[in-house]
Amino acid sequence: MDLALLPAILLTVGLLAVIVADLLGRGRSPGAPLALAVTALLLAGWAAASAMPTDGRLVLGALKADRFGQVFTVFCCAVGAVSLLATTRGEALRRPGGEFLSLVLVSVLGMSVLSMAVDMVTLYLAFEMVSIPAYVLVGMRRADRLATEASMKYVLFGAVSSALMLFGFTWLVGLAGGTSLEALRAALANGAGAQPVFFVAATMVLAGFAFKISAVPFHFWAPDVYAGAPAAVGGFLAVASKAAGFAGLVRVMGALDLSAAPLTEGEQLTHVWPQGSAFLALLAVVAVLTMTVGNLAALRQREIKRLLAWSSIAHAGYLLLALSVWSTGAIAAMVFYLVAYLFMNLAAFLLAGLLIRELGTGEIAAFRGLGRRAPGLGIAFAIVLFSLTGLPPLFGFVAKLQVFYAIFDQGYVWLGVIGLINGAISLYYYARILSWMYLTDESAADARAPRLSAADRLLTLGLVLPVVVFGLWWGWILEWARSVAPGTLLGMGG
Amino acid sequence: MLSLTIFLPLLGALLCCVLPASKARWVNLATNLAVLLLTLGIAVQVSGTSGYQLVERELWIPAFYDIHYHVGVDGLALALLLLTAFVSTVGALASWNIEKSVRGYHAMYLLLLTGMLGVFVALDLFLFYLFWEIMLLPMYFLIGIWGGPRRQYAAIKFFLYTLFGSVLLLAGVIVVVLKHQTWDIPRLTELAAGQGLLQGGLGLAVFLGMFIGFAIKIPAFPFHTWLPDAHVEAPTPISMILAGVLLKMGGYGLMRIAYPFFPEAAVECGGLVSALSVVAIVYGAFVAMAQTDFKKMIAYSSVSHMGFVTLGLASGTPEGLNGAMFMMLAHGTISAMLFMIVGVIYDRAHHRDIDRFGGLSGPMPRYAILASFAFFASLGLPGLSGFIAEITTFIGAFAGPYMELALVSLLGVVITAAYYLITLQKVYLGDTPPAYQDKARFPDVTPRELAVLLPLALVTLWMGLFPATALDVYREVLNGLAHTLTTAHAAVAAR
Repeated sequence: MDLALLPAILLTVGLLAVIVADLLGRGRSPGAPLALAVTALLLAGWAAASAMPTDGRLVLGALKADRFGQVFTVFCCAVGAVSLLATTRGEALRRPGGEFLSLVLVSVLGMSVLSMAVDMVTLYLAFEMVSIPAYVLVGMRRADRLATEASMKYVLFGAVSSALMLFGFTWLVGLAGGTSLEALRAALANGAGAQPVFFVAATMVLAGFAFKISAVPFHFWAPDVYAGAPAAVGGFLAVASKAAGFAGLVRVMGALDLSAAPLTEGEQLTHVWPQGSAFLALLAVVAVLTMTVGNLAALRQREIKRLLAWSSIAHAGYLLLALSVWSTGAIAAMVFYLVAYLFMNLAAFLLAGLLIRELGTGEIAAFRGLGRRAPGLGIAFAIVLFSLTGLPPLFGFVAKLQVFYAIFDQGYVWLGVIGLINGAISLYYYARILSWMYLTDESAADARAPRLSAADRLLTLGLVLPVVVFGLWWGWILEWARSVAPGTLLGMGG
Repeated sequence: MLSLTIFLPLLGALLCCVLPASKARWVNLATNLAVLLLTLGIAVQVSGTSGYQLVERELWIPAFYDIHYHVGVDGLALALLLLTAFVSTVGALASWNIEKSVRGYHAMYLLLLTGMLGVFVALDLFLFYLFWEIMLLPMYFLIGIWGGPRRQYAAIKFFLYTLFGSVLLLAGVIVVVLKHQTWDIPRLTELAAGQGLLQGGLGLAVFLGMFIGFAIKIPAFPFHTWLPDAHVEAPTPISMILAGVLLKMGGYGLMRIAYPFFPEAAVECGGLVSALSVVAIVYGAFVAMAQTDFKKMIAYSSVSHMGFVTLGLASGTPEGLNGAMFMMLAHGTISAMLFMIVGVIYDRAHHRDIDRFGGLSGPMPRYAILASFAFFASLGLPGLSGFIAEITTFIGAFAGPYMELALVSLLGVVITAAYYLITLQKVYLGDTPPAYQDKARFPDVTPRELAVLLPLALVTLWMGLFPATALDVYREVLNGLAHTLTTAHAAVAAR
């Protein structure tokens, strides 16, 4: 049996076990399903990390067992596990039931499949497998009107973009004469890409991914969804769901790219299909719009989760900008950025959840004087926010450095400068949080200090410490990220 | 030894967080004194040698073009290292009466010191940028938490402005590293010795980007608008550090990175830079004259004086460069002294309105003498350091290609004299209004204040009488740079 499917099997087994444990143990051992779910995620992540990448095909050629898929599987499992733990510390759904846990597991399973898929039908199915549980996760708190509204918005946007994507895939399948990305690649090599409809179809597929990674103009759902959902779920969607979207996008783009594999470091994949450069230009425009809209909208936010939502849109813009220059260096930079993004964004959502739990509101103005009342929490938040801004010596800075280095490397200096200036703008809204926490004098009414348990502190430390340590000691992460990118992924024949 | 000097304050900052609040200011002072002693030790070891000394070089991130932990000092760095340690030490004394969140304040102060020292000794672009940015964080909090009424606005304005500058600097650094695949500053300087690190339009663009990045810190006109707000709102010791050390980083960056890396682009932009400098000198002086807020006046005088730094640099002559550097050192001590002078009276009167003061020499004679001393030093009285700085810069600028522009800047000197003399008259001379006659509310300078002001005054006097002590430290480095610029000038002229 092929070990490459072990993570998926473990996730499925975990899923079933959670449902059974929930049914059997209801009321008696509320912690058991949670423990099972986290264990399943960790085991699946470990299995994915330790399996040897064979580059072989699985399940009738629908999946590819390569390094890229493995890395994203590990990534999504880790985010899933941390998000579940963060949920128990957050402001709502603190005792996640079996439904909640199994939905998260299904979603992670979908992400894993999405990152391994080399078949258009499988890609689409995996895509829906990620989305549908997410709709339910957001709307889980039926009593909460905001959550219901957010879930509705999410479904509507998801449905439209997924329809667009499916429509795009049908065109591509028709042109390719088969559902596999390899057939698509072969058709392209034979000149199918010269037909204008091909560009339209590729753009439609892009629309689906744009929804998943919350890129402009498919981003409107994100602020409502992140604000309506518990903070930890927001973090899960912002990190894991987005990463899976990027993985799928890279898969599709890899198929559209006809350059010979494997590529050497820093070489540009120039032989994209005839309208390839127009496609990449479109991607660059979307990226610049995404980061700018995200940053400008974040400037006006007064509520922490909405602010983080807009900020995560801006971060999607930086990642997309890296993809738009389409080189192995850029893909490595994207992977690197996602790792940094995992720690700092999950930490940000965790801290947001803790604060809303303790203060009863996510209004930033309510954080007044918090830096002095809860020094540890204040410092942690400051580190995370500075890292999100991209200030050294933190992980977020190095990640931005990698992304912009890759962009400059391909000669797109102006794109890089626009991105860097966007990063500087983001300081304003991140610093506004700190301004309320530290720079505003507290009044007598704010005397209550948040009470954090040991578990709260431990989880926070576990996420914030890497933001500092990996900001100084990141050479090995870079080497690892580079090893993910090369030809095994892009040259689909490999 | 350099690493010890840089990271000792970091240790001190941690100590501040751990020890009881009453000990924090002692930790701060002790750390600063230790750093001052260490830098003096470094000075003894390094003086009279050429090239980088006390170099420490360890491979740090091999995966990204061999980023090194690479520090070392030459004359240029040493002079600024001494200035930093000195101003920071008197600043620590000036911080004695900080009462709000004492531990946080002194920890931030020491963190800032690490950043400042690090910038001056870093010989790896990555490390340089790291220290350059690390400095922003404590500064933001120091202005934002311990500042005046509009501190939030001033803090974020400072932070955003400098970050925009940093981003341009970073863009330039990335382009340079992409081309040459090394972060090593001495190596890049060698590579640049011919035509600069990048040719043509790209070289010019990168130079301009870096120039703006450093100019914001200096601050050069028209990038100076953050400075008055930051200076006015910051607490006295932080204003001293800002004016005394932080502004010097801009000039240092130009001398260490922008100019040596892109000599030809620097020569091509010489006219522009000279023009901006002259505007800064004259316009800064006029605006300073129009101020009624004592502290704001000093802040604008900084804009005016920093114009001399860029003017000297743009001339590309040895005298111009040496004058620019001397101005940085002289301004470092004089402006720190001026801000302390404002702080002293603000502590007593709780306002800074020049028009409301009068005859302060009556109740506070020693204070009035020290203030007059600082005023005269700043307006360029012969015998004090400001004069040497201005005269050397002028000699350089007149010898350079933009003599006409330099002539205009003489106007600035006259206006500077005018506003200092007017202020002197309004604040210290004449009849003492009844409100200021109360000896109990307006005691003369305390021993602690004297301990801050007197060393600054003595250094100012010493540098005015024996300028060679300072000049000899860095002359060789800047003469080398002047040589590079002269060669570049010839090359540009030949085209």
